[in-house]
Amino acid sequence: MSDEFEGGVNRRNLLKLTAVVGAAAGAGLLSSRPASAEEELSLKGKRIGISTAGTDHFFDLQAYNAQIEEVKRLGGEPIAVDAGRNDGKLVSQLQTLIAQKPDAIVQLLGTVSVIDPWLKKARDAGIPVLTIDVGTTNSINNSTSDNWAIGKDLALQLVSDIGGEGNIVVFNGFYGVTPCAIRYDQLVNVIKYFPKIQIIQPELRDVIPNTVQDAFTQITAILNKYPEKGSIKAIWSAWDIPQLGATQALAAAGRTEIRTYGVDGSPEVLQLVADANSPASGNVAQQPAELGRTAIRNVARHLAGAQLPRETYVPALLANKTNVGEISKKLGIG
Amino acid sequence: MLVDTSYPPPSLDGFNSPAHAAEGTPKPVHGRSLAAVALRQGSLAVFIGVLVYFSFAAPFFLSIGNIGNVLGQSAIAGVLAIGLTVVIIAGGSNVVTGGIDLSLAANMGLSAAVYASLVQAGYGDGLAVAGALGTGLLIGAVNAAAITLAGIVPLLATLAVMNIVAGLELVLTQNTVVPAATDFLSALSAAGPFGIPVLAFVLLGFTALAAGVVQYTPLGLRLYAVGEFPEAARAAGLRVKLFITGAFLASGLCGGFAGILSVSYLSGSTTGAGDMLLPVVVTALLGSVFSRRLLPTIGGTLLATLFVSFLINGFQLLNISSTLVSGVQGLLILLVVSATTLLQRKGNQ
Repeated sequence: MSDEFEGGVNRRNLLKLTAVVGAAAGAGLLSSRPASAEEELSLKGKRIGISTAGTDHFFDLQAYNAQIEEVKRLGGEPIAVDAGRNDGKLVSQLQTLIAQKPDAIVQLLGTVSVIDPWLKKARDAGIPVLTIDVGTTNSINNSTSDNWAIGKDLALQLVSDIGGEGNIVVFNGFYGVTPCAIRYDQLVNVIKYFPKIQIIQPELRDVIPNTVQDAFTQITAILNKYPEKGSIKAIWSAWDIPQLGATQALAAAGRTEIRTYGVDGSPEVLQLVADANSPASGNVAQQPAELGRTAIRNVARHLAGAQLPRETYVPALLANKTNVGEISKKLGIG
Repeated sequence: MLVDTSYPPPSLDGFNSPAHAAEGTPKPVHGRSLAAVALRQGSLAVFIGVLVYFSFAAPFFLSIGNIGNVLGQSAIAGVLAIGLTVVIIAGGSNVVTGGIDLSLAANMGLSAAVYASLVQAGYGDGLAVAGALGTGLLIGAVNAAAITLAGIVPLLATLAVMNIVAGLELVLTQNTVVPAATDFLSALSAAGPFGIPVLAFVLLGFTALAAGVVQYTPLGLRLYAVGEFPEAARAAGLRVKLFITGAFLASGLCGGFAGILSVSYLSGSTTGAGDMLLPVVVTALLGSVFSRRLLPTIGGTLLATLFVSFLINGFQLLNISSTLVSGVQGLLILLVVSATTLLQRKGNQ
């Protein structure tokens, strides 16, 4: 009886198991359908122009290399040019790239007012233009992190860490770069409702190159101007290289009660966030390699005749003192 | 050929009296001029060789459109290098003690910033052009005053002025991009006849004008005289300081003009003008290998500018990393400077 019962259970279990396996296989088939559609994407015989403002930051380099690899993986030929943060070189390279008539051009970063006339020339020449982190009407599709969410998450983290009041120092040197402008505007939007939070005027200007040294110098100077502990609560920057310089300056001056915030998830900054004694308190990490791959897959979809949305968002991840280990693991660093 | 008072050529025979060495003896030696011809022909051969190689490797290279693009892309650097060439001619081509204008790239940056700021403030192109050229001229005047009145070595004087000018640009632009769009600027950055960029014609026209003055007028000849042998020029009744002042004013004006071109090319004034300095110095120095007697000339400078631009362009067309270009540029300048230095030593013996 018990044997029978057990046997029955076993059979039933077995049935269940096969059902589960079957369902899993079915689900697998279902879920693998979009994946196989992805594999059908191809850039065989296509020449894809990849132009970047520079590759001197973790973000740019990851996105740039991921694009080149993705084009090759899909069977295309990348024509990749790196302007080394020089606008003159960027424009020359775009001009030559347009004359080379590739099947598409993907522009990664760059000051809109400088590159936009040339993106328009590319479009006028019949070359599809896609962008990563560049807001322009001359691009068919812009792959970007949701910078509104990034700006809001970072601002809320800052506000909650400093208890909703105090002076904050802000680096705002690149308001001309769309993602930086959005993040800054979001900060302003959030602190509007915390009237006890004040941005110290004048705002600081972060620079390229020598970003770290310059931020270090500027923060050291402002610390001398505000020598009392508590007179500054936090330092905010739209990316994390100024954050790096600021954090170092705070450590050097022994003002580690001030917290720093930035965006991009540069490995060295995430390490600082992970250090319990470091002033680095928040960093929103974008997924640059994923952004690069997404843009290239969008090129393939466009060339295959698909309709693309204006913007494709790749999620960003807020790292703070409590979850930074987990985020680093997700990004494949640290 | 070149009076090299600070670096007396090493005398192998030991019979040169110090006075004799200090005077310098620009006595053409047959072997030297042969070597100079070889270097010049060699450089031209390398230039042509590179062009031929690129044309075969990347068929698109030789198209009118691409050549026009390269000419247009060379316009800003070309105008700056021509300004520097004038200063080198008037001051002598010793890199340390001779004529040099390190403030040129910063000058371009500030002039561009002035132009863009004036446009932003609602002024017209006429005033903006005057503002940019005036800025350049003023910087040239400061350089000239520091060198001729205060007697500072050009290398140091223009280095100091470079820092002042770069600082002023930061103050004016707050280190941000100042966009500027006007009909005049779009016309300048558009394509002209045969689809060749207008900037290409600007470069050619400007070179022709500068070459006309420097290479084919008595004024130009005196400029060379002042630079190569100031004592003799003075003895002949030339007012050396006036010529040096004029050269720095001309170079300042070139900086202002390049600033206007830069505003049109980049649709505004942008940061990082200082990056142009080294390529421009390299170009102006490289230029002398394209001249018959290894002298800085306007034509030689144009060829050198185009050579560097064609290299960059060819590398992109061949899909070779553009990071290699600066290495190649460095290698070229090292070769050129060593070759000319060796030849000059040989000539002075």
